Amino acid sequence: MEILIPLIDASSYILVLVLIALGLMIVFGMMGVINMAHGELFMIGAYVMVLAQSYGIPFWIGVLIAPILVGALGFLIEYLLVRHIYHRPLDTILATWGLSIALKQAIVLIFGPESQSVVAPISSSFSIGEFSYPIYRLVIMILSASIIGGTFWLFLKTDFGLMARAVIARPDTASTLGINTRKMYRWSFVIGTALAGLAGALIAPTISVDPQMGLGYLVPGFLSILVGGAGPLAGVLVGGGAVGGTNSLLTVWISPVAAQIAVFILAILVIRLRPEGILGGRNAK
Amino acid sequence: MRNNLLIFIVFGSLAFLPIFASDYWTSQLSYYLIYGLFALSLSLVWGYGGILCLGQAIFFGIGAYVMAIVTKGMIAPVPDNFYIGLILAAGAASLFAGILGSFLFAGKGISGAYLAVVTLAIAMVLERLMSNWYTLGGYNGLLDIPPINLGLFGYSLELWDSRPSFYVLWSVTVVIALFLSWLVRSDFGLQLTALRTNPERLTYFGFSTLQIKLKVFCISAAIAGLAGALFVTIDGFASPTLIGFTLSTEVLIWVAIGGKEMLIAAFLGAIATRMAESWLSEIFGDYWILILGIIFMISVVLLPKGLIATPLSKLFAKRR
Repeated sequence: MEILIPLIDASSYILVLVLIALGLMIVFGMMGVINMAHGELFMIGAYVMVLAQSYGIPFWIGVLIAPILVGALGFLIEYLLVRHIYHRPLDTILATWGLSIALKQAIVLIFGPESQSVVAPISSSFSIGEFSYPIYRLVIMILSASIIGGTFWLFLKTDFGLMARAVIARPDTASTLGINTRKMYRWSFVIGTALAGLAGALIAPTISVDPQMGLGYLVPGFLSILVGGAGPLAGVLVGGGAVGGTNSLLTVWISPVAAQIAVFILAILVIRLRPEGILGGRNAK
Repeated sequence: MRNNLLIFIVFGSLAFLPIFASDYWTSQLSYYLIYGLFALSLSLVWGYGGILCLGQAIFFGIGAYVMAIVTKGMIAPVPDNFYIGLILAAGAASLFAGILGSFLFAGKGISGAYLAVVTLAIAMVLERLMSNWYTLGGYNGLLDIPPINLGLFGYSLELWDSRPSFYVLWSVTVVIALFLSWLVRSDFGLQLTALRTNPERLTYFGFSTLQIKLKVFCISAAIAGLAGALFVTIDGFASPTLIGFTLSTEVLIWVAIGGKEMLIAAFLGAIATRMAESWLSEIFGDYWILILGIIFMISVVLLPKGLIATPLSKLFAKRR
């Protein structure tokens, strides 16, 4: 039983990490845009829950509102900022970095720098014999897994997904065939940001919500994408599994600090030695 | 000559400032000089070398810690000499850059966005490491680092006042700025331009892009290390924040706002942003960081060459 809890913790961390990385991946894989503000969008998702709680809005309604609000913010960001620099991919790193600073500070100004907490809607635990685990964490895992599945379905099985993948593979040809690439970019960006908001809202009760929380998920998210391979969407599962799994298991076995250092170094080694990622892919740069 | 003229104007006017400024402002100006030096190092590797390093504070921090260890006499056989400290600090930063660079750039190598994320991750790892390395002060860092000491051969000439140390820092910065300005206009500078614009053809002409990349990475790291070393002598304090994420972000903003492709603009970007920060943060309080973030975004989108470099190059283009 002792091994079971770290394993469940690991899978729960992996699922959240994949959810965050998936949003990054849609934006990066499709447009080559590195969205450094993704962590802050995730943070805003969590702050929507703080706000919902203080206004007495039920938890699950908050979870519905968060991705819509963050997605709308994503729409604005795309319209005002990212749209102008698609042709300069490296500058998107800088511009979205500026955005992340501004968003972080805006949250500090509104909510203050201290950390907030969100109460989980389900406080009971699930137990079989000696084994017990908070139900809400299991709910997060199930929901994350279904959202990840839903996103894969959207990109692999629907017409929208087909067009999106066409735009990723051959933007010029796709545009010649009458696909409005600008529109695809915009909606993909919105979906990516909405996923970040949803992830933030879901895990808000399990972590302390503070203005600096974004970075701690952004960098592992990026490393997951690069480790897994930026080409196929499934790369994110492999990368998230590798980065998240190693991190949470090493945290239990050694210490959180050693785990983070080890994971970052391992990820850098993988990225350097297999730049196309574990899965490989023709879009690798 | 265009670049040198600007360097003379900028540094000439900086040299006069301490005569009028108060002690407080003189010591602030000393900090600005160091930040400017740090910005020069990033401008070289990013603007001229085309290597976007999101973890430039790695080298600043290494320089800072090495200087602290040497001048505090923490490694026994090495004398706690100011000059030896500077040389070792720049050397260590450069050596680390060399090792890191050979690992990252060799063979197929990584570049662009991948390199940016990887260097950022390395800066975060090192910050974590230093926060937990208790021999080196851990999270609290190293305190009581001796000030600039110009003495040699057993004599000691410690500079505790802000004006003498300002002029020492000023001289170092002028020398480095002139050296860099010469470097980017030398044959090596031409190779850097080629590396940035058309690396394939550079290889075709028989140059090793790896060698050029490594050289510019190491030179830039040495300058960043030097800046870090000088920083701890006037601050007296080396902490994990000097090696990590926040400082890497700040220097990137200074250089981007100033203009990465023009050394003196990057230098001025650092000084102007810091000055604006100390004035405007009194007026705007916490809103200042928000404003800085927005200015940074606008500058990237509308004036990618930099807020200072664009008008400066226009001004000087007309005269020619």
